[in-house]
Order: sequence, then C-alpha cells, then structure tokens
Amino acid sequence: MSNGNLENSGAVGGMREELWRLARAFFSGLALVLLSAQRGQAQDPELEKLDLPELPPPQPNEDVLLRMMRELQRALQKPVEQRRWVMVIDLRKCVGCHACTIACIAENKLPPGVVYRPVITEELGEFPNVSMRFIPRPCMQCDDPPCVPVCPVKATWVRPDGVIEMDYNACIGCRYCITACPYNARTADFGLYHSDHTPQRAAYDEAPSFEYGRRWKREGGNSPIGNARKCHFCVHRLEVGELPACTTSCIGRATFFGDANDPESLVAELISKPNVMRLKEELGTKPKVYYLV
Amino acid sequence: MKALSRRDFLKTSALVGCGGALASHLPKVFETLARAEQGQLTPQEIYALAQPENQLYSVCLQCNTGCGIKVKILDGIAVKIDGNPLSPWTMHPHLPYQTSMFSIANVEGALCPKGQSGLQTVYDPYRLRKVLKRKPGTKRGENQWVTVPFEQAVMEIVEGGNLFGEGHVAGLKELWALRDPSIAQAMAEDVKAIWTQKTNEEKRAAVTRFQEKYQTYLDALIDPDHPDLGPKNNQVVFLWGRAKGGREHLIRRFVEDSFGSVNTHGHTTVCQGSLYFTGKAMSEQYKDGQWSGGKKFYWQADTEHSRFLIFVGASPFEANYGPPVRTPHITENIVENGLKIAVVDPRLSKTAAKAWKWLPAKPGSEAALALAMIRWIIENRRYDTKYLRNANRAAATADGEPTWCNATWLVKLENGQPTTFLRASEAGLSEQDRFVVIDGGAPRDFDPYDLEAPVEGELFPTVDSVNGIPVKTAIQVLYDSARSHTLEEWAQICGVKTRDIIDLAHQFTSHGKRAAADIHRGVSQHTNGFYNVLAWYALNLLIGNFDWAGGLIKKTEYDAIGDGDGKPFPLKKLHPKKTTAFGISIIRHGVHYEQTTLFGDYPAKRPWFPLSSDVYQEVIPSAGDAYPYPIKALFLYMGTPVYSLPAGQTNIEVLADPKKIPLIVASDIIVGETSMYADYIFPDLTYLERWEFHGSHPNIAPKVQPVRQPVIAPVPETVRVFGKEVPLSLEALLLGIAEKLGLPGFGPAGLGDAGDFTRPEDFYLKMVANVAYGDRADGSDAVPEADDREMELFLKSRRHLPASVFDADTWQRAATAKFWRRVVYVLNRGGRFQDHKECYRADGTVANRYGTLVNLYQEKTYKTKNSMTGAHFAGYPVYLPAPTDVLGRPLEDSEFDLHLVTYRVIHQTKSRTISNYWLLGIEPENGILINKRDADRLGLRDGDTVRVLSASNPEGFWDLGNGHRIPLLGRIKVVQGLRPGVIAFSLGYGHWAYGASDVVIDGQVVPKDRRRAKGIHANAAMRVDPVLRNTCLQDVTGGSVSFYDSTVRLVKA
Repeated sequence: MSNGNLENSGAVGGMREELWRLARAFFSGLALVLLSAQRGQAQDPELEKLDLPELPPPQPNEDVLLRMMRELQRALQKPVEQRRWVMVIDLRKCVGCHACTIACIAENKLPPGVVYRPVITEELGEFPNVSMRFIPRPCMQCDDPPCVPVCPVKATWVRPDGVIEMDYNACIGCRYCITACPYNARTADFGLYHSDHTPQRAAYDEAPSFEYGRRWKREGGNSPIGNARKCHFCVHRLEVGELPACTTSCIGRATFFGDANDPESLVAELISKPNVMRLKEELGTKPKVYYLV
Repeated sequence: MKALSRRDFLKTSALVGCGGALASHLPKVFETLARAEQGQLTPQEIYALAQPENQLYSVCLQCNTGCGIKVKILDGIAVKIDGNPLSPWTMHPHLPYQTSMFSIANVEGALCPKGQSGLQTVYDPYRLRKVLKRKPGTKRGENQWVTVPFEQAVMEIVEGGNLFGEGHVAGLKELWALRDPSIAQAMAEDVKAIWTQKTNEEKRAAVTRFQEKYQTYLDALIDPDHPDLGPKNNQVVFLWGRAKGGREHLIRRFVEDSFGSVNTHGHTTVCQGSLYFTGKAMSEQYKDGQWSGGKKFYWQADTEHSRFLIFVGASPFEANYGPPVRTPHITENIVENGLKIAVVDPRLSKTAAKAWKWLPAKPGSEAALALAMIRWIIENRRYDTKYLRNANRAAATADGEPTWCNATWLVKLENGQPTTFLRASEAGLSEQDRFVVIDGGAPRDFDPYDLEAPVEGELFPTVDSVNGIPVKTAIQVLYDSARSHTLEEWAQICGVKTRDIIDLAHQFTSHGKRAAADIHRGVSQHTNGFYNVLAWYALNLLIGNFDWAGGLIKKTEYDAIGDGDGKPFPLKKLHPKKTTAFGISIIRHGVHYEQTTLFGDYPAKRPWFPLSSDVYQEVIPSAGDAYPYPIKALFLYMGTPVYSLPAGQTNIEVLADPKKIPLIVASDIIVGETSMYADYIFPDLTYLERWEFHGSHPNIAPKVQPVRQPVIAPVPETVRVFGKEVPLSLEALLLGIAEKLGLPGFGPAGLGDAGDFTRPEDFYLKMVANVAYGDRADGSDAVPEADDREMELFLKSRRHLPASVFDADTWQRAATAKFWRRVVYVLNRGGRFQDHKECYRADGTVANRYGTLVNLYQEKTYKTKNSMTGAHFAGYPVYLPAPTDVLGRPLEDSEFDLHLVTYRVIHQTKSRTISNYWLLGIEPENGILINKRDADRLGLRDGDTVRVLSASNPEGFWDLGNGHRIPLLGRIKVVQGLRPGVIAFSLGYGHWAYGASDVVIDGQVVPKDRRRAKGIHANAAMRVDPVLRNTCLQDVTGGSVSFYDSTVRLVKA
C-alpha cells in the first residue's frame, strides 16, 4: 500500500488520537461511529460489530488458548472503553524459548534492532546451586505511561481499552519516548532489513505488517521507518478476535491475555492471586502487564 | 574477477534472484489493493491472514519434530506461520479431527521460534534456482561453479564421460550392471546360502557353485570371488540426512527396487542411533526359533500424565521432539499438578532450570547412574514385582498389563557369565523350543506368547542350576551388574552425591506407573551408548511403566505407503519390474562379519554393524578405504556429514578426491558445507514447497500422519520430465534420471496397474489416499469426504499455486476420483490425527500400544560378536567406561583437561538455520560455555577468544582442502550452570558455507554474508578414532557416533 493514501496520512492519524481522547472523556459511542466511518465501516455505535469468527464447539479441558479466545470474543461485544486489556505472564511456566519474541517479529514484520517482546535470561546462584530465570518484557501498557506526555507531537496516547497506541505518520522520530520509558519497551526503526548484505531483498522483508489495523509496507523510507516502535498487544489481531501473537505462540502456556474488567475472565482470576507482581511498581506507572512468580 | 552487481546478479544468477522469477508466479491480486487505497476495507479484509482461503495447513521441518503448521499467505507469498490446532503437536488437547475448517481460521496452536522463522529458510536469498556443475578444471571444494541445463546434467550423470577434464567418469548407465530382476533374486538367495555355510571351506565351495551357476553374469558383480559384495549396482550409494516418508520411499524405490543397489543410508547414528538400536534389540520377538522383527524405534514418556520424570541427556524445552509438544504439559503439571522433574545433564539446560533436581553428572557415566538406582531399587524392593514376575502374555493379560518382560527367564551361565536362555529341552522338561522360569522352587517351561496359560516366575530364586546347568534369572543378571559397585562408588564414577541417587530412585518408585526416565542423545551418543540406553530402559522396566499413561509410550502412525490389507495403493508392490537389491552394504550392516566371505581374522578392517543400520559416519570413510569395496557414485540428499558429524573434517579428504568417489551428486537448497564438494548440485524444494509424510515421535500418544504439501510457488526453476513441467527438486532429479536411463517403476505405467508415474503427485497423492483410507481393510476407518464448501476452500486456498505444482484435475487423476474427496479432507487439515479422547483408556493404559515382550536380557545381542575383537556383546545393561576406540581400548588424552560436549539451543537446528536472521537476533553467535572455576583456573574471562585443541587436532583448525584452513576459534562464555571440567558449545553456528563464504557461479562472485560465519563449530576438535584414522569415535554395538567423549585444551587466541 502506498503511503500517500488517506488512511495512512498523518492528518487522519492525528485526528484519530483526538477522537480517542474525546471518546475516553465523554462520547465513546459517537467516537466509534466516527472512527468506523473513517475506516469505511458502518457500525452500530453500541456494539462494535466485528463479525466475530466462528470458534470450534467448547470441549472439556480445552487448551487455555481457546478459553482466552472465547473470553476475547465476549469482551469485544462490549463498548471499547469498558474493556481493560491486561497481560499476565507466569514466570514459573516461561521456559525462555523466545517463541513470543519471534512470533511478534514475524507478526509485526519488525526489522533488525526493533524488538517488542524480548525475553531476558538470568543465571542465579553458584555451581552446583544454580538456576535460571526467564522474563519476557513486552510494553507494560501503563495507565500512567511516561512515554506519552513527552511526545512533542502527540503521536502516542492511551486508548480507551488501555493500550498505548502510536501514530507512525505523526511520529517525527525524536526518540523522547524511547528515553522516557523505564522499561526500555520502545525501540527505533532505523530502516534496516534482515536481508541486507545478501544478494537479494527477501520476501519476508517486503511483506506488510498490519499494525493498528492498517497495512504498512516498509519501503522508501516511509513509516514506520524512522519511527519509534512498540508493542501494542496486537490490537489489529484483537479486532478480528485473535489473541496477541506472543500469547498464541507461547509453548509453555505462560502468557495470558484478556479483559480484566470481566470478572469471569482468566486474567481477572490470575491477577487476584497473592503471587502476582508488576515491574517497577514504585515508579507509579501502573503497568497492565502482571507477572506470576 | 569482479564482484557481483545487483544487475548482474539478476541477469545470471543461479540463486534465488527472485525479483523476476518469483513475481511471475504471483497471481495478479490487485483488487484488494485498489479497495484498500480507497479505504473500503473491513478489519477482516485488512488483516487478510485470518481468512481461511489465505491459509494452508502443512508440517514444519525447521527441525525434525514435525509440528503441524498453518501457513498464512498474502498475494502468493507465505508471510506468517503458526501452529495447526488440529495437530497434537501444537494445541493441548488438539481439536477433534472433524472440527469445521471454517471455525479454526482464527485459532492458532503454539509454535517454537524456529518454526516461526521458517520463512527465512524458504525465502533465503542464497537458495539455488538452477543446476550447478563443478567448473571443469577446478577442484572439488574450490566453489567454482557453472550453471548447466537440467537435461545436460542428467545426461552427463547417466552417460558419464570425461566430465571434468580429469578422465572418464562412469555414468549410471554403466553402473546399472545387473538389470534382470529374476537373476538378482536368485543371486540374492544364493548369497544368503553362502552366509549359512559354517566353515571357510564350505563357504569357498558355495562361492565356486555360485560362480558356475552365474557364469555369464560374473561381469556384473563387484568381485566374483566375493559374490556377497553384490552387483556393481551397489557402487552407487545414496546417502541422506533428513528424509521423511514419501521422499524416503521414493529414494528406496529408485535405488533399491529399480536400480538394484543396497546402498541407501540415512543419518540415524549421528542423531541418536544407539537409542533406536537398543530399542530394536529390546523389541526383538522370538519366532520359529529365531529372534527377529525388532523395530528400529524407542520409547519416550507420556508427558501429559506423568507425575515424576527424569530427563537424561535430554532437554524437551529445547530439543528432543519436545518444545511445542511436551513443554505445555510439563509446565502446566509442575505448576498445577505437583509434577517433579529431574534433569541429568552436565549443562544447566532450560529444562533443568525448572527441575526439582539437577544432576550435572559426568558425561559418559550415564549407565553408572542408572545401575546405581537399579541397585538401590532392587535392594529396597521398590520394583513392581507383579509386573516383573509375568513371564508370558497370558500372565500379563491377567494383570491388565499390555507388556511383559523376561526378568524371570533363566539365562545359562558359562564361567559365571550369562550366555543364552535355558531351553526346556536342556532343563529336561520338554522337547519343544520353550523357555524356562523357576516357579515354586522348580523349573517350569513356557511359551512367551501363550494366550491361555499364565506363567509367572521367581525373580530371585534360590535355585542356581537346572539339570546341572548353572543359571540365573535375567533380573539377577541385571542385579549382578548393578552391584558390581557400591552406591558410593557409582556416585564417584558419576560425580554426583549418593544422597541424590537415592532421592532420585525413591521418587522414581513413588508414583506407580506414572513415572518415567526419558532419555535422548546425551545417553546414546557415547562409545558406550547402547549400554547406557539399555540401563535406563531397564530402570523403566523395574516400575513396569510401558504402555501406561504417564509412563513410556511409542509412536503410532497411519500407514501411507500401503503396506496393510485392503489399502487402496500398495505402492511398494505397484512396480512393473521390481528387482532385488542384495549384498553387503558399504557400512556392513545387517549381517555378521563371520558369515561373509570377507571374514578372516579379528579385528576386521573396519567395524561391522549386525545390530544397527543407517551408520552415517561409516559411509564416506568406508568409501575412502574401499572397504568392503570402492564406490563409483555418491548421491547426497539433505545431509551434510562434513558439518554434522563429529570430526567431520575426516570426510572432506575422501569427498575432495575424485579417485575415491568418482561422481558426487547433491540435492540441496543451497551450496552447503558438504554439497560444496559435489560435482553437481540440483536445487531442491524446501518444506513449504514439497510433499512428505512426516510420521510421528515416541512422545505422541495419538495415532497420526502429518502430511507436508506444497503451500507456495516453488522458488527453483521449472524443468521438464516425462513431458511434464515440474519444479527442480529431488523428484525432478530422480524422475529425470529414470527417464534418461529407462529405469522401470517410473514414467508411463510406472506404477503398474495404478498408472503413470510422471509427476511427484502420481506417487504422493496415492500415499495421501492410503492415509485417508485408514488401516482397516474394509475401509471403516476412512476419513469423511470433503463437502462442497470444503472442496471450494481447497481450490480457493491454492489459487496462488502455479500449474507446475497444483492442477486440480491432475491431482484428482493421481488420487483417483474414488478417493478424491477424502484426500481433500486430509490435505485441508494438514494430515490425519486421532482424537485425543481415543488414545487413553479408562484403565490407565494407552490405546496405541507396544503390547508385547520387552527384552531386559537380549539373547540375540549376546550371540552377536564384536567384529573388532571377536568377543560376544553383553546381552544385559553394563557400565563400560567411555571413551574407547573401535577395539574397545580406553583413550586417555590426559594432557587435554576439558571434556567437550555439545548442546542444542531452541533457536538453531544443527546445520540449516543460520539463514534465519530473526533467530540470529536472539543469539548472533554461540560461544564456548565454561564454568567460572575453570575460567579462573585458566585465566580466561567472559568474551575472550580461545582456540580449541585436541589430541587428534593439535593445531585446532578445520581443513577444508585446497590449502584452506579455518581456525577453531570461539568466544568464552563464563557460566555457573555447567559442570566444572566440562565445556560446551551449541550446534548451528560457525559455518563456512551456506552463504558464509563466497562462491563463484558462471564467473561471478556471490559474496558471503558474514553473519553466517559467526560463532564456533568445534566438531573438528572431536576425537578421531586412532585405529580407523578417518572416522570419529563410535559405539560399535549400537552404531552411534560419540559427541560427548572428547577432551580438549583451550588456548587464548
């Protein structure tokens, strides 16, 4: 897709942010209609009709991934501002495999140097009493994100569902947000390709990403090249009823995702446990990523 | 010579150069784009990957686990790979097989990072598109190539000639010496007859009779004085690294059934050979007075239901057919259900990071640890008496046991050493060929497979002789081996604490049958591998966990080749002129040295492998030594012995010499570490472009058959065989040669009554039909027919595939109209998978069972002699110190103070994922792990570069031939999680081909990518056998190579 079309233009991006802001404060339903109209959709203001996919019939003891998908569909029936997306990572189950890291790169077509979901490996103790700890570190999607107020062009904001969104076309690449984030969750897209230094630009470097529900093709220096980039809980997947790529790819089933406002949800259940913690809570950022230890 | 410009590259390149080529395959899907530009798309349309018509289901091959995948396709290009939720590999439990395809478009199973990165193997810019020929006048390994038309390359291979300006090279036409199937069959029988002669004189007489009988055919033999070497056809050798069902069947059809060579060899022994061949020895069954029918297989734990697991030399979170399959069961059960795991591994693996106990035992001491536990368990009577006492099937059935073992059977002793089983006739009980137990203090004979009369025996009888013959029960023999050392001595040998051994044994015997010791490479890849494996499986037998949920299980597959009754296409039989390949193989397997006409004295020139097969390390060095005969042509498919074998540099000397192997043809996707020594490289298809029947692994409880199928347009060029357009591939190579050679079994009516074999699908779709039909003769096990909606989805989701790959009419003809809709049903789902609820029974056993006798004591193994010493192999678990050379002599190498081992990271697959740049983001280069104590002792710091030296590589380098050497340099990584005295490097890095060095094609330099050369591949430091001198250390019983027995020294670079 060319970068010159209406959908990807900076003007719309800016307007979109304003709309979210309004929506959050007052008129969520109206905002949704406007947004939908922007995107060529006619939608019911009360119920974002997402044409949710058919799921297989429920089975006893089904994989937790299916339970979370069913809960995701339930959440999507609600107006956006009534959802509160959170992620829970059970460090006891994380095996440090990096499936999430790579699934995220593959899903969002991240170039060299841009990682949304690193996994930190630490060795603890001394031989023979040694252990290892693995800590996946996505964007914390803070309720009070230090990255948002520092943006000089308002290219990043908190959505009504709590996800910190970026407008690539508005971003001027100043990297203030990168410095501001206490979790190092933002990285800069320097316009590199994985197949640089080989005889041919590879197809996987040319495939578009779908971040924020649009098609982005990294070419010709266009956005998101030059922008700050970050994890967004795969909102483009959520919109079509799919879990974030890190969640579905987790081979240890250590990553959980859902709507904390739904008391029946798995994540609501998990974050009420006594062994729950968040990173750098003392900073008051109020992360929406929780860890079970 | 100038460097390659992008423009030149596109003009001439034999590599991907896909700018033009690939685009031509693309459907013109501009409609979506136009609407997108008008902002008219719904979120579903924007995110087109969630649409069922943009998804195809297949099977991963980034490693050999074979996870079910869902490939998402955008404008004809594969852009994202996820798990197939119908496959038991990626969703737990997997969705029922009959789930609607339209309800799973949004559902993804979990896939490991390598699986996610497969696109980078497929769209690797260094992939080959055209056939390469070694530039005449240049040497093998100089990496100077010319592109040649497919037809020319095939013609040269068939006709031979002065192909490289080095003199005459024999073509396949000349090597296809014996062509008459009836003569071949008769000769094969007569060779067997020679092998049954007892004395050398009798053998010589039989040879003379053979020579008289086949006077006019003696020219076709390699050596008429040794007819058991077989025909000259055997001088064509086909060697593969990773072959799966379908392609392996095709290769065997070509080489064995049509061409008539016995030399088709896989790579098993470089992976876990002695694990497979101990499994074979344990599964031999007694029939008509012989032990036969042993399966090349092994057991793993049913992870989903275990309550205690010991992983020995295995890390299921990182390898061992584990990551997406077994990890979720283990993590879930540890956190929610109180599962405890113990890990025995010198390195703190990621699995060990979650372990209740990590035992960093000394590499090579695996049998010692098992025997220590066995001793404690026997002395504390914590074994399953009820299970072990059952001597036959009826007794096992009465106890609800699917299996039984020979723990109570009496073994005769000679000079105190166990030999063969006591027979009823020897005991004076019966003239029938029956075995004997002690029951109630008296001998009793029985048939192991008796359905009616249960026989139980005493485990530790007081009787020690029968009819004057000294005897012991098999479990007494085991116990004798276990008590050859005290627990403290065993602990000393293993370098672990006695307390830990007892804790392990106690836990292991505290969970009934829901416990297992699960073993892999770390146990089998030693010079003592066979007996290490046997000791650990003996330990499992003590708790009788075979065929029980949570215990040890085996793999079960839907038959694809059509071996069963009533199958639609019995493909092995569908051959108009099938021949019989016969004679001794180049690796001397499946026959006893003593039986052959080559038998002289001990040691044999090189070891023989009567108990194993696919002895990878022996193929090329044996060709180098011309033992048992010289070879004339080597075909290499998806394998790189130079990179993957320990001391793989020894293979280079042979490969680089056209006098030792006059013709080398490789089928590869790239110029790799071994294919760089080929005379011709035929581009192959990757796993997203081809057919295969991946089969299963021992930890998968359901019966399955994952089907790999083309999901994208092929990257290599299209060529013509039998008048049809097909992509350059292994299939095109074999079909092309068959066409030129006039080889039966291919071409028009190549499948006999089942019609033509002119395209890959003619064969593979019939295999799919066999899978769809199921394994009941009456067809009652068939899958449903695809309904109209599914038929439409099938076509729509393949709309981007070119006619050289997919044409609905061609496919339907190949599968036949009768089976077509069922075939579509299977292909839509990426294979066939039994439902989860079908594979466990209410009584706690598994539905897909091994279900027969397990050999604790092995009479057949005992009766086999070691070809290097003439001694009998032991028929029971025993600790043999490692390492030894092929004569069984210990190797000291005492001036080399560090024990070198390898390990697998989840983000690399041995030789073939260095092209996956996403994965290099996780770890751009590997290092040499060393414990801090050793680092401090040697004055080494994290990040220091060191050189690795060993007794057989004292200068520390890879010798690539042609004066080219690469130093064995690596960076030190100081850790705590490694046994002091041991150093470790992960496999997959340190390449010098595969895009890591320049190659010249048609005079143009294709420059290397330095990222691919990073890190160290220290296999070259592994010990070369001092007797053989051109081969790594190996286990002469089970066939495994040794990866974990070499010692080295590190020198700061």
